[in-house]
Amino acid sequence: MSSPNTRDSVPGAKMSGGPRLLFVVLMTALVVAELFPLIWLFDFSLLGSGDFFGSDILKWPNPPKWQNYVDAFRNAHIPLLFGNSLLVSAVSIVLIVACSVAMGYALTRMHWRWRKPTLALVMAGMIIPIYSTLLPNFMVFNETGLLNSYFALILPYAAFQIPISMYIITGFLETVPRALEEAAVIDGMTVPGMIFKIILPLLKPAIATVAVMAFLSCWNEFIMAVTYIDKDALRTLPFAVVYFMGQYSSNYGAQFAVLAIISIPSILIYTLFTDQINRGITAGAVKG
Amino acid sequence: MHNILGDRKTIFWLMAPGLLLFSLMIFVPIAVSFYYSLTNWAGVGDYGMVGFRNYADIFASDPVFWKSLLNSVLLGLGFVLVQHPFAILVAMLVQYGGRWEKLLRVCIFIPAIISTFVTTKLWTSIFDTQFGLLNRLLDQVGLTSWQQDWLGQPHWAIACIVFVCMWQGFGYAFLLYYAGVKGVPKDLYEAAMLDGASGAQLNRRIVLPLLAPVLRVNVVLAIVSAFKQMETVYLMTSGGPANSTQFLSTYLYSKAFRESLYGYGNAISVLLVVICLAVTLVLNRALKREVGEYG
Repeated sequence: MSSPNTRDSVPGAKMSGGPRLLFVVLMTALVVAELFPLIWLFDFSLLGSGDFFGSDILKWPNPPKWQNYVDAFRNAHIPLLFGNSLLVSAVSIVLIVACSVAMGYALTRMHWRWRKPTLALVMAGMIIPIYSTLLPNFMVFNETGLLNSYFALILPYAAFQIPISMYIITGFLETVPRALEEAAVIDGMTVPGMIFKIILPLLKPAIATVAVMAFLSCWNEFIMAVTYIDKDALRTLPFAVVYFMGQYSSNYGAQFAVLAIISIPSILIYTLFTDQINRGITAGAVKG
Repeated sequence: MHNILGDRKTIFWLMAPGLLLFSLMIFVPIAVSFYYSLTNWAGVGDYGMVGFRNYADIFASDPVFWKSLLNSVLLGLGFVLVQHPFAILVAMLVQYGGRWEKLLRVCIFIPAIISTFVTTKLWTSIFDTQFGLLNRLLDQVGLTSWQQDWLGQPHWAIACIVFVCMWQGFGYAFLLYYAGVKGVPKDLYEAAMLDGASGAQLNRRIVLPLLAPVLRVNVVLAIVSAFKQMETVYLMTSGGPANSTQFLSTYLYSKAFRESLYGYGNAISVLLVVICLAVTLVLNRALKREVGEYG
């Protein structure tokens, strides 16, 4: 996955009899424990509200109540919230990629005196808890009129995602040989030219990782989204359930449908970009 | 030749936007927070400077603050003593899965990718007293007397929170160790096999020691994340019942937004930053000494 020594399976490992059975039982139990709540979610999102109080653990939806999804779309303003979430995530991702590539390049390839302390400072940002900025930013945004605008979400999302993104970019840059750039310098190319023509194409896999990780963190963020935004037209996706809890608190089926709608993009992204996500998550931890 | 790589103007323009964003959104807020933590501001109107009185009050006479810290420690212990050993075991076992290996990996990781918001709502429904899955399950297996108002009683509520956090984060912990296990060079396996080592011996004597550096980083990350925890608690219990499940970030939120004690909330906020930095430094030091020989 992240090292050249990646093996497909353990050499010469074959289990049989008792250990094999134990292995199958343990793994099945684990998978059930991890996935059952989600299966329950999708199952009950297709059932009527009355079924929630029955005695069944799972129930075959017969017929499936797709009306729940229709209700969710209509009453929870899903298209609007979905679009807002998408816009906030997209702008954040562009900011994150631009800043982390520019800083990553200056911090690994260029020579200047404050390079090391600056790098350490940015990396320290990884330790700072994002919600320690909740109160002060609320006040600052309130004073500057940023409250109830997308900038109130985009700016902190981008800032807190920069350290890990830059870490991924610099780690990747260190494995890229400098020969191409040295030749380009002799040919009289400028630094911005080099970044656009040489570095960006080489960095594609790392940028994909950074973008996917950024998407997941922006898409899934909740606390700031409900603290900084209280105008209906600007709300993002997590707020959909709050709409339902207020107005239709007994329509459990539709509430579950909303939850399902929110999680589908994440699952899709994961299945499409499994390798990028694995790389992103293991980037920091394995090297130590 | 390297002159253009030392050009100050270029360096400035490459670094400035990111650093500006970074300082404005991270360092400035912490400074602002520190300023307000020295006041008795109620969120609106005038306020006065009170020096370090908020901090003194927190340390001297705020049991909820200590309870929040204790809860974070509890969650951290849950991660380190339950979640991580289990994740290491599973990471070692999954590679015996043959053609199921990939599918297993995906299934184990999926909960980690879904919004905390969704999974927490889901678990809240599972613990629900009216239609909750858990009480229904207990009913079906005949353990009706075990049924509880899971989130309504202090000790069960914190247990539920620790459990849900471990459930949601399991995929991450697993994946980190799995990458570590996969990084063990093939020749080491083959050599051990030739010497007649059993699978269990191999994993305990060779793979486990080689995981030490990975373990160190992951333990630090896990404990710090326990102090940073907010979303799951906020959505499951909001710190209740009776403040029994407060964590630092939910506590500062409720002080500021529910009780309008802005100055006090900001003092907790500053302490949260200090605690996270201190915990990271101390753990890094302590663990480096312990496993240094492998690193």
